[in-house]
Amino acid sequence: MNAKKLIEENNLKRERLTPENEAYYSNLLLYIRLQFSLSEQQSEEVLMELLDHLLDGQKAGQTAVDIFGDNPKGFADELIEQLPKEEKRQLIPYFGGIIGTIIGWFLIIRGFLFLLLSPFTEVKTMVYPLSSICIALVIAGFVICTIVLILKLIKRSLFKEKDNTTKSSILAGVVAALGMAVVLLVAKFMPEIGPAFDFSWWASILGGGVVLLIRYGSKKFNSM
Amino acid sequence: MNMSIRSQLLKGILDGCVLAVIEKEPVYGYELSQKLLSIGLAEVSEGTIYPILLRLQKNGLIRGEMRPSESGPNRKYYFLTETGHEALETIIAEWKQLSKPVNELLIGRREG
Repeated sequence: MNAKKLIEENNLKRERLTPENEAYYSNLLLYIRLQFSLSEQQSEEVLMELLDHLLDGQKAGQTAVDIFGDNPKGFADELIEQLPKEEKRQLIPYFGGIIGTIIGWFLIIRGFLFLLLSPFTEVKTMVYPLSSICIALVIAGFVICTIVLILKLIKRSLFKEKDNTTKSSILAGVVAALGMAVVLLVAKFMPEIGPAFDFSWWASILGGGVVLLIRYGSKKFNSM
Repeated sequence: MNMSIRSQLLKGILDGCVLAVIEKEPVYGYELSQKLLSIGLAEVSEGTIYPILLRLQKNGLIRGEMRPSESGPNRKYYFLTETGHEALETIIAEWKQLSKPVNELLIGRREG
């Protein structure tokens, strides 16, 4: 059974837990799933085993604390230490796929926007690749920093008696707003440097479509 | 206190116990913990078998396989590998060598 199937089954089975056991198990599950360097398949397999064990124990009147102990973080760390790492081969297509999807949709939306706006206003279809790459890097940096921060905040909030959700949300919001401001400023004041070419609306849609098709095709191919 | 001494003593030999249970017949996690319990090894908190199972798997001593269980749903059953059999033999031989003098020293002390 692959990881995706295991996750689906896990979602269904988790509903059979008592609220108390569900809270304990969900912390464990989130904490282990947030370790992106670990093999997803192996992580999901052990999570399923723990869930099955907990459900069996629940029938016999045991609680999660009885079975896994009163130190869930320590228990999770022991599991993480023994779980094998994800192979790099599988990470590269994963991130490549995400970036491809973003670029594909960006190009298509850009194309349609230009098509719709051009009757009303003059749109600049000239593209300066060097400037565009600089802006893209700033955006990527912003996105990565924000995601890392949010994941850190989530990880820190697990296994805590009282949640500091409000404080964490405000912190994440402020950082995201500041980052967005930086991105907008850079985009506005980035000088137009290097060579340029005309990138019309139809070329944009075509380019985006091709990228998405390749992405879709390789996904199909990989899952065969 | 007694509990912690016992679990400390057990730590070193628990791998051997887990391998020995799996050698008798393939088991899944919950079964394994129940068997350890019924043998009398109640000191092992049930959850602790999972890091052990992961480590034994990583070292190639056991392998897991999804199979339908007696009660119906699929469970991950563990089997001993060739390396696992060899490791168990080594552990048993070492245990014999260790337990004899330790027994003589700790238990024979009273009688002698």
